[in-house]
Amino acid sequence: MTTKVDLSPTRRRFIKAAAAGAALQMTGPFIISARGEQPVKIGMDDCLTGTYAAVGKNETIGAQLAVDQMNKKGGILGRPVELVIEDSTSGDAGTAVQKARKLIDRDGCEFLLGNVNSALTLAMADVAYEKKKIMVATGGHTDAVTGAKCHYNVFRICNTTQMEANAVAPALIKNAGKKWYFITPDYAFGHTLQSGLEKAGGKLGMQKVGGDLTPLGTTDFSSYLIKAQAAGPDVIVILVQGDDMINCLKQAVQFGLEKKVHLAGAQQELEPLMGLPPDARIGTWVFEWYWNQPNVPHVKEFNDAIKAKTGHMPTARTWFGFAAAHACALGANHAKSLDALKIAKALQNFKLPPEVALMPGVPYFRAGQNQLIPNQWVGHAIAKGPGGPEDLFHVDEVVKVGEAAGTLEESECKMQWPA
Amino acid sequence: MSQVLLFNVFNGLIVGAFYALMALGLSLILNLSGVINFAHGGFLALGAYLAYTLMPHIGFWGALLVAPILTAILGLIAERLLIRPLYGRDPLYSLLLTFGLAYVLEDVSRYIWGAQSLPFAIPSWLTTPLSSQFFFLTGYRIFMVLLVGLAVAGLFIILNKTRLGMRIRAGTLDLETVSVLGVNVRILRNLNFGLGIYLAGLAGVLAAGMLGLQPTIGTSLIMPSFVAIIVGGLGSLPGTLLGGLLIGVASGVTTVYFPSATEAVMYVMMGLVLLVRPRGLLGEEGRVQ
Repeated sequence: MTTKVDLSPTRRRFIKAAAAGAALQMTGPFIISARGEQPVKIGMDDCLTGTYAAVGKNETIGAQLAVDQMNKKGGILGRPVELVIEDSTSGDAGTAVQKARKLIDRDGCEFLLGNVNSALTLAMADVAYEKKKIMVATGGHTDAVTGAKCHYNVFRICNTTQMEANAVAPALIKNAGKKWYFITPDYAFGHTLQSGLEKAGGKLGMQKVGGDLTPLGTTDFSSYLIKAQAAGPDVIVILVQGDDMINCLKQAVQFGLEKKVHLAGAQQELEPLMGLPPDARIGTWVFEWYWNQPNVPHVKEFNDAIKAKTGHMPTARTWFGFAAAHACALGANHAKSLDALKIAKALQNFKLPPEVALMPGVPYFRAGQNQLIPNQWVGHAIAKGPGGPEDLFHVDEVVKVGEAAGTLEESECKMQWPA
Repeated sequence: MSQVLLFNVFNGLIVGAFYALMALGLSLILNLSGVINFAHGGFLALGAYLAYTLMPHIGFWGALLVAPILTAILGLIAERLLIRPLYGRDPLYSLLLTFGLAYVLEDVSRYIWGAQSLPFAIPSWLTTPLSSQFFFLTGYRIFMVLLVGLAVAGLFIILNKTRLGMRIRAGTLDLETVSVLGVNVRILRNLNFGLGIYLAGLAGVLAAGMLGLQPTIGTSLIMPSFVAIIVGGLGSLPGTLLGGLLIGVASGVTTVYFPSATEAVMYVMMGLVLLVRPRGLLGEEGRVQ
């Protein structure tokens, strides 16, 4: 007797399978670096897959370089340092939280670093607060991280969206005009960046002629661009990031929109510029850190070290990871303790040393907010600069430490310290 | 507003044609072999990366010709080594295998070409809009629609006019009988899989011209393709084409009125179709093959 196996994919089975497949996408791979003897562990929970994979990877590269440097200089409190890396995915807060808990509970990490995604950063900050561990946010820009939802033990290296908006708004008005149309990613980062630009631009006479919220991971921007062009703006302000930025700019330039309106935005990074064809590297933007700073101490050593590791120049993300990991060690060594409260107090108004700051001026963690107050670089994207194939940004103006930071009161952070 | 709406309907047809190209490959494999190929996006990415690698040597047009063929060869190998042993088992086995294969292909792409997006440039004369008013009708997009049309026509000719196509269609209806009649079903399935992957490779090269070339380029495009199959009707190639066009237009029109739901609308549409007409718009009732 034989049993006939039905090979047919029924509709019901197909849909069940597709749903199962979608659910499985929630899970992701993980990477654990080599373990030493009783090291102090720094856990990094960052985007290694999805739309922010490239920028997330660069943050981990920067952090790893910092850990290597620390270990050559005595580590943290005389103990070796180990970086434990987990993939948070690019947009799944549940996974990011699960990985943050795993890093602290199972791996015994004393510090938490991450994340590119603002929403994931906020979720991880809550875990760090609950577990009483120092977290240094690397690249999640939404204001709330060091604003309305600030915690005494959560510090941040990258700028707030309001700081970026304050820095770039005058240049956008000057270079592109006053009528703005926004293309904004539909999550925490995009919402606050747009609102920051409306606030900063509004003071300078900006007129909003429209805007669209786009889901994270959007591939086709053509319909948004059609709508944006029809609204008759002076500038289409592109706030999407990562691969979404590449898709949007590439399609806008293919439509020839740059000949009709300005294409510009706020936050720009080297990673998307490198992924764009040369003719799409255009527009006014703000960089949070740029590698081409010829006369600034220690920058060349940093550039050389990263180039030796990766074959590429460092990006702002590389520096975020680098500075965040160093901040952990600096705080602990300064406090002579791994206790989160003592480190948090030691880092109030703490100034980054030049070999970590890698910029002119003295960036510092503003007390009562835990936000790093650094320089910003306003300029425009270029197809190819004099510094080589990865010199893709021309700096028009360096916005110096504090000039675009706003006040502590404006940040809306009301820090609660434990008794 | 009416002009924006009209533009978005046209634009939606263009985008939908692209979804359809990818969905047709998926549908072809699903219909004959019963394999829900989650690795389709991975093959799409491979096609794009192969084209990127070949372009400096043989130019865009050469890459457009060669990369999909190389992708199809990789597909033939994958079918022979990985998929074939799973025929005769529950389709869930092949689903899980292709799901894993998708991750493997993504990581292979990341390992070889890096996580960083690569600047895939198309000939500049192709990016010129046909007119100032209809700026979204660029030479590249028109070319893409023509190519999709050609691929679809070619596919229909293969399926309806050639011996291979007739066998594939017959196999889709009753593989056991086709086998009993002396047709080598193994080769048939292998070639059919290769044909589906060829379409994925072609879609990959076309996609890289419009999107950033990164390892996840296929992942983001695979769900609309599945939706196109379900909306159009499982088992129906014309239905898949229709499904692709419909979700493209629906997304475009939604952008005008409710932009943040542009992606969600295709899933709403899928839900509605499943509620009102579970077999899909052009699917057959009952047995779906």
